[in-house]
Amino acid sequence: MAPLSSADTETATRPPRHREATLYAPLAGASARTALPESAPVGDAASLLAALREQALSSYEAAELPVWRRSGFWTTSFAPLDLAALEVHHHEPAAADGADVPLPQAAAKRLPERARAGRIVQLDGSVISVELAESASAQGVRLCSLEQAAAEGSEAFHRHYSQRLTSDRNKLEAANAALWTGGAFLHVPAGVVIEDPFEIVSVLGSAGSAQHARVLIVGDRASEFAVHEYTLAEDFEGQALHTEGFEMYLSDGARCRLAHFQDLGPGEVYDATTRVVAVGRDAFCHWLPALLGGHLVRQHLELAVTEPGGDMAFRGIFFAEDAEMFDMFAVDLHEVGPSGGDVHWRGAASGSARASMEGLIKINPGAQQSHTYLQIHTVMLSPKARIDAIPSVLVSADDVSASHGGSVGELDEDVIFYMQSRGLDRTAAVRVLVEGFFEPVLGELADEPLEGVVRAKIAEKLAAARAEIEAYAAGR
Amino acid sequence: MAELEIRDLHVRHEDLEILKGVDLSIDKGEIHALMGPNGSGKSTLANTLLGHPGYEITQGAIIFAGQDITEAEPHERAKAGLFLAFQYPVAIPGVSIANFLRMAINAKRDEPIGVKEFRGQLETAVALLDVDRSFTSRPLNDGFSGGEKKRAEILQMAMLAPDIAILDETDSGLDIDALRTVAEGVAKLHKSQGLGALIITHYQRIFHYVTPQFVHVMLDGRIVLEGGEELVERLEREGYDQIRQEHGAVV
Repeated sequence: MAPLSSADTETATRPPRHREATLYAPLAGASARTALPESAPVGDAASLLAALREQALSSYEAAELPVWRRSGFWTTSFAPLDLAALEVHHHEPAAADGADVPLPQAAAKRLPERARAGRIVQLDGSVISVELAESASAQGVRLCSLEQAAAEGSEAFHRHYSQRLTSDRNKLEAANAALWTGGAFLHVPAGVVIEDPFEIVSVLGSAGSAQHARVLIVGDRASEFAVHEYTLAEDFEGQALHTEGFEMYLSDGARCRLAHFQDLGPGEVYDATTRVVAVGRDAFCHWLPALLGGHLVRQHLELAVTEPGGDMAFRGIFFAEDAEMFDMFAVDLHEVGPSGGDVHWRGAASGSARASMEGLIKINPGAQQSHTYLQIHTVMLSPKARIDAIPSVLVSADDVSASHGGSVGELDEDVIFYMQSRGLDRTAAVRVLVEGFFEPVLGELADEPLEGVVRAKIAEKLAAARAEIEAYAAGR
Repeated sequence: MAELEIRDLHVRHEDLEILKGVDLSIDKGEIHALMGPNGSGKSTLANTLLGHPGYEITQGAIIFAGQDITEAEPHERAKAGLFLAFQYPVAIPGVSIANFLRMAINAKRDEPIGVKEFRGQLETAVALLDVDRSFTSRPLNDGFSGGEKKRAEILQMAMLAPDIAILDETDSGLDIDALRTVAEGVAKLHKSQGLGALIITHYQRIFHYVTPQFVHVMLDGRIVLEGGEELVERLEREGYDQIRQEHGAVV
């Protein structure tokens, strides 16, 4: 991709404006594995990984930092990132028993006290602790660093690693595939049902840190489990980078509730993340990313029904404040039918924040009897905030239903007055309004501790924007 | 001095002078009726009393419980004991009636209300308004019918126990059963809590269930006629035109 400079106005060297859906369509469901040369030795986990890293490294070295120019006002540019100044920071892992490792501050502040099935924590480039409940371990659940899974020659790793992630679409995706360290691997064997969630935590520790996180989760036939991923950063000034390649594969009849709490703090933190969830035959995933902080956040989130009978509920929340920029692309991909889908995102922006939320329903040829719906609702809390909500539908089958809806709104002064007339002050009224706005999605977490974490962060964002929200109201 | 004193109130809304000098006093335990045709300024008065930012007071004062609240924020007026039952209650998606009421009650208190106490109050209010207990779990006014919205208004009034309530056309759009429930609810609160009320309406029928001691007629931003219960019947019989002719010189 051509570099952008301020003097550069030549259309020939400048990426055209586009919708993400247009770029994505021909690549849907692609895998870096298919691009490997036939001669590559891929007979075991370690050699497969080495071959994929090598392939990704050449993409990484060839590419410039990505710039996406979108319709309307939007350009997402990682060009200001001084990549050469960033390093992967390493930390001492915990003692073998994994006990008594203090959580990084950002994690200690956010993670709820609760029952859990396991927890893996990565600080910058290193996994610093892994714990797994005995009951889960006894049923054959494996939770470890992804490095370890590869080194041990895990069959699930060999079967699934990078099965649906590419490594050549842009420099940061390639960086992740080539350079990831630590990582998280969770394998839930067939028939195993675990009620408490597994927590996968990554924390950026300081300015100057580049964290390339990688997650592989495999749920075998008829397994049932929940995963909460926390992507966090300490409070620092200066540049840092989080890249992530996340993939989850659910086999026949598996069921998973997957949620993400993403808050990369007030620093100049760049986030380039790709997450793919593949739902197999008669499997189900309830997926809810909550994207709540970062200087520039670029996320590609893809939920694919890959076998007949797969079903999913794809929920999402985002809230950009201050000068944050979020660029999100959520895909509801139906490779086969019959399949079900339901996508419902809600987002807010305050300050001079910008958010672009593109949602795509894609139904492949032959995916008959796919039924899905996409809705995006947004609210702008200040006159300078901008949200672009773009739904797209690409359908290549004729016996399906796919539609979309949504709304773009501002704070309704009549509703605020109504609440004030009942005794709530303006700040409380705005908070009730915004929390109520998120509630239809937030309530679906069906997990009180995690809901509390998300609510607290939303409340913090509202408190920070208080003065400006009041000024906005007074000016209207 | 009466609990609520409105003195020579002039109000502008969207560059139009709507109220042109309104004087009105309402004491605790008194039921007042404010009647008048569409556009006479009744809803403007209601919104202004609670401090809606879209209504600008250009002259006059509002005194409540001995305090000048002409410039007070809406929530301060509510805390002082004023209540407005809205003509068009707005929806608050995602917030149940019960949760909203808990917030509103706690906003008036130093210590949050206890679970048991709250539940007791809610059950009493639910019985008064003849609604199902599950009603209070629904998001406030979201997808409510006209009758449900008005019931929800009176339910909030019962829970918040104001000294003076303004009911802005609470009777409009209600079928006869809903009207009776709502009006009898007001009458009971009047009796049990000593509620004072300003009932704004076009019609006589709500006064079959709750009897006003004072009746005020508003035309073109002024109160032009005042009297007792008998005035309601006269209005029903003669309409506003007759009064407009008699008081045309004032307008």
